[in-house]
Amino acid sequence: MSPPRLLLAHLRPYGLRYALGFLFLALGSLCSLAIPWTVKLAIEALQRGSSTPELRKYILLILGLAAAHGLVRLGSRFSILGGGQAVEQDVRNRLYRHLQALPQAFYHAHRTGDLMSRASNDLAAVRHLVGFGALSLLGTAIAFVGTLAAMLALDPRLTLYAMAPFPILILVARRFNATVHQESQAVQEQLGELSAKVQENLAGMAVVRAYAMEASEIRQFQGLNGEYLGRSLRLARTQAAFSPLMGLVAGIGTLIVLWQGGRAVVETRITLGAFVAFNAYLAHLAWPTIALGWTLSIVRRGLAALGRIAEILAAEPSIRDASDALDRPPDFRAATIEFRNLTFAHEGRGPALRNVTLAIPPGLTLAIVGPTGSGKSTLGALIPRLFDPPAGSLLIGGTDVRRLRLEHLRRAVGYVPQEPFLFSRTVRENLALADDDALAPRLEQTARAVGLDAEIRAFPEGWDTVVGERGITLSGGQRQRAALARALLPDSPILILDDAFANVDAAKEVEILEALGDVLRERTTLLITHRFKAARAADWIVVLDEGRIVEQGSHDTLIAQGGLYRRLWRIQQLEEEISRA
Amino acid sequence: MPSHGGRAPADPHDDEILGKAYDARLARRLWEVARPYRRVLVASAVLFFPIAALELLQPYLIKIAIDAHILPGDWPGLSGVAAVFLLTLAGLYALRMLQSYLMNLTGQRVLHDLRLRLFAHTQTLDAAFFDRNPVGRLMTRILNDVEAVSDMFGSGVVAILGDVVTLAGVVVVMLAMNWRLALVTFALVPALFTAAAYFRRQSRIAYRGLRSRLARLNAFLQESLQGMTVIQLSAREPQERLRFEALSADFRRAQFRSTTYDASLYAVVEAIGSAAVALLLWYGGGQIWQGVLSFGGLVAFIEYTNRFFLPIRDLGAKYAVMQAAMASSERIFGLLDLEPTIRSGRARGRADGRCPIVDVTNVWFAYTGEEWVLSDCSFEVRRGECVALVGVTGAGKSTVTRLLNRSYDVTRGRVLVEGTDVREWELDALRRRVGLVPQDVFLFSGSVEANLRLAADGAVTKDALARAATLANARGFIESLPAGFDHPIRERGANLSQGQRQLLAIARALVYNPAVLVLDEATSSVDPESEALIQEAMGRLLTGRTSLVIAHRLSTVQRADRILVLHKGRVREEGTHAQLLRRGGIYSHLYELQCGR
Repeated sequence: MSPPRLLLAHLRPYGLRYALGFLFLALGSLCSLAIPWTVKLAIEALQRGSSTPELRKYILLILGLAAAHGLVRLGSRFSILGGGQAVEQDVRNRLYRHLQALPQAFYHAHRTGDLMSRASNDLAAVRHLVGFGALSLLGTAIAFVGTLAAMLALDPRLTLYAMAPFPILILVARRFNATVHQESQAVQEQLGELSAKVQENLAGMAVVRAYAMEASEIRQFQGLNGEYLGRSLRLARTQAAFSPLMGLVAGIGTLIVLWQGGRAVVETRITLGAFVAFNAYLAHLAWPTIALGWTLSIVRRGLAALGRIAEILAAEPSIRDASDALDRPPDFRAATIEFRNLTFAHEGRGPALRNVTLAIPPGLTLAIVGPTGSGKSTLGALIPRLFDPPAGSLLIGGTDVRRLRLEHLRRAVGYVPQEPFLFSRTVRENLALADDDALAPRLEQTARAVGLDAEIRAFPEGWDTVVGERGITLSGGQRQRAALARALLPDSPILILDDAFANVDAAKEVEILEALGDVLRERTTLLITHRFKAARAADWIVVLDEGRIVEQGSHDTLIAQGGLYRRLWRIQQLEEEISRA
Repeated sequence: MPSHGGRAPADPHDDEILGKAYDARLARRLWEVARPYRRVLVASAVLFFPIAALELLQPYLIKIAIDAHILPGDWPGLSGVAAVFLLTLAGLYALRMLQSYLMNLTGQRVLHDLRLRLFAHTQTLDAAFFDRNPVGRLMTRILNDVEAVSDMFGSGVVAILGDVVTLAGVVVVMLAMNWRLALVTFALVPALFTAAAYFRRQSRIAYRGLRSRLARLNAFLQESLQGMTVIQLSAREPQERLRFEALSADFRRAQFRSTTYDASLYAVVEAIGSAAVALLLWYGGGQIWQGVLSFGGLVAFIEYTNRFFLPIRDLGAKYAVMQAAMASSERIFGLLDLEPTIRSGRARGRADGRCPIVDVTNVWFAYTGEEWVLSDCSFEVRRGECVALVGVTGAGKSTVTRLLNRSYDVTRGRVLVEGTDVREWELDALRRRVGLVPQDVFLFSGSVEANLRLAADGAVTKDALARAATLANARGFIESLPAGFDHPIRERGANLSQGQRQLLAIARALVYNPAVLVLDEATSSVDPESEALIQEAMGRLLTGRTSLVIAHRLSTVQRADRILVLHKGRVREEGTHAQLLRRGGIYSHLYELQCGR
């Protein structure tokens, strides 16, 4: 969807609000134009020497108009700025919903910082566009039409004179904005250079220290910093020259009214009251004119930001429920997982898995081993469809996984990743992520199964202790066991452990697996591991190398074969011997 | 006019806790920073007086125009007044231009000086400090916090002074012109002041609530993005969406509250302004009747009233600038006050041919607490000797090298270089003697040449650079780059291959030419062709050079005069490759492991 169409789609629900805002702005403009007009009438009355009651009438009218203006003005802000905030909320929620549907591949291709910047900075720019930007554009248009009409009603010739500087003002403001934009761009660029330098220096501090580069680094920084100062001062000079120029041009308008308007009074073409009102009207116009450039830059920036947001919204949620997805899930507990001659490549890379054919009967514990980069993790990640396998190459219970509903599939699969991710929430919430309604006894039982219950009870606030920056920091092993408990809790029939114990030592891994014996027997388990001690206990072992299944069998037969498995096993034994030394 | 170019968003966890707008202790230190520019500062302050005078003159000119010329019908006289008015406009323009520039000048110079001081200070801090402080936080100090301080000089303090001058001037003029009418206007001041203060305060509270909700929203979003896989695998999207939408709605409500107070402030101020006009008309009308007040006087008074209300309304905005500046300067001075724990000694080394160049004796070291990385580690490196250091990951090899150049100080024991304790060495001299070269080379953005020279700015000739590149087998690929030695290297050397980077590291070591070379061999493997080039270059680099190499290559350990096997923080075996293999200890296991891979 193109940015303007996206904008329109999100503005439409608030059309009435914006129309109301427009009405308020128009009424406000009417009030604020009526005040100088009343002052004019009052002065004329004073000049005529008319009665006190008449004067009092005007004064009450001014007070009333002032109050009305205040209220209407508030109304316009509430409806338009509030509308902008509502649009922002809608776009933000839509963005979040969309982000939730995007596959892992998207998150590999986009840095979190970049996405955050779009969801916060760019979204704020969009809010400014539909809030302040809209308010300011509408307000300026109304002010111009209204004020010009009032001035023309007072005296067309004087209006012509008084408006003479305005084209200049507009030109100056445009020129000013262009120059300031250019020069502040130059300042920003230099700031970018400066921050790249600082970032590089701080990140490479060990090198700086080793080569005693401190003095030369400071010298380089000094150069960049000096250039930044130079550019900033150039901008300061431009701003110093231009900003008061606005006041000057507006002041010249006043001067013209004083001079020519005074002449009109002398020639009795207009009254003194009209002269005073004229001055007030002119002041009305000066500010929106000066701010026009600013308003336009808000619009420009908002549209650019909207474009960046539209880019994300255009990213396709490639992994989703198929149109012919099964309404009822198969019986996962009795289902065989079947890879049929599966070849899979991550986008833009060579195949991670080649011609993998493998059937995992229900209830089996299967270990997958192999060197780093052999495709072990990819194999595991295909089952819950973190990546989509080619059609017909991966079946569960005889059904292509791509025809299963994501919700059914993922509820059936417990997946423990290599790098456990915990949210900054309580321990309870973290564990009960996939099963909000889990009762305390069940939670505790699961925690006990992974050997975490005693540790949780020892936390300052037990199960309600918050994890993360604002609470306690868990050790690597604790995090992995927490992630394991999380996957076990919903009682999913399929369990995938992707090197889930990398952060505990080998003995502890075997200990945890043994303790889980019963739990694992009830499920179909994929144990992806780089530890052969752990693999040894599995019912069946598959050895992957460069994406292919090169060996499979029980531990003893694989050792007897004397192939890759045996070689890797020997390496690990050596490592253990060394660490015992 | 609003400034162009946004500032980077504040760290969501770095909640903006704004405190006092004035803190005597901080103010004194800030004054020290601004001291070199006090003349400019004073000049820009002094300029406020003529500016205020001219601004106050304008309404008075209008009064004269009306009373003396327009009403009596004196057109030529009016032209005279108009001419004077034009002069005031021109004068104001010139003065404001000058003042705006001077104010910015101070602000920018202060920014420049503070930035440099902060950067230079970070260069003296020790490695342990960088372990504790993430790069992002330090960058915020050097890049953003200083801006808040410069804003204070650019538009905070001085502008407040300007407002005070203008206000005082308006009050005096109004009282002098017509004290009764002046008092009528002033009657509205308490109302204005109360309303402005109330709405400002509410608006500030609302703004703080807004910031904290935004921080919460962004923290949630960030966590969602990082943990999206977990959310998707738990089929938890709907629940998370509800949470997010609740936070999102909460943010919107906070925003609306903030808008309410901001908009109310302006609405009320404007209404009070109009009320003042009404009051003036009412009371002034009576005075005109009595002949006490002229029409011109009335018009001028209305003008003065406008100029009287504006500064009162804007005072709050300047208060916020001061608050931000104080909070930032607190953080800036906090960083500047940190003393490095590793300080330079005075020794510059002495030529004593007998003692070993490096002598590590009974060294214990822990990065934190009692988690010993080195426990009772001892060894020496003699002049002209090439010593290889081997051991498994985590044995403490890199830590040893960091102690040699005093990135960290030993916890117990001592490290001598050329017979002098490293803690007594002058830091720069020590680091010139003991060159620590990681082969996973850290490249800076800049030309190839600059990356080879590093600190040795003028001291190395182009010929010497070319020679080093030749010896390091790096010349071939450098010259194949479009601009040769001047070719720009992108950030972190992204445009070079692994093998090329390792060759550059060797060339860099040759250029630096330290008395003791401490080299950390790269673990990443390269293609066989590059490997051959690297091995050849390593041979040239190490021959006849005193060196300690963390070795990962078989060719390197075979070339070494002596091999030290570091295990669990201490040297467990020592000897030549052949001797150690015969011994059948840790080394022989390591060797078999290496061959098995």
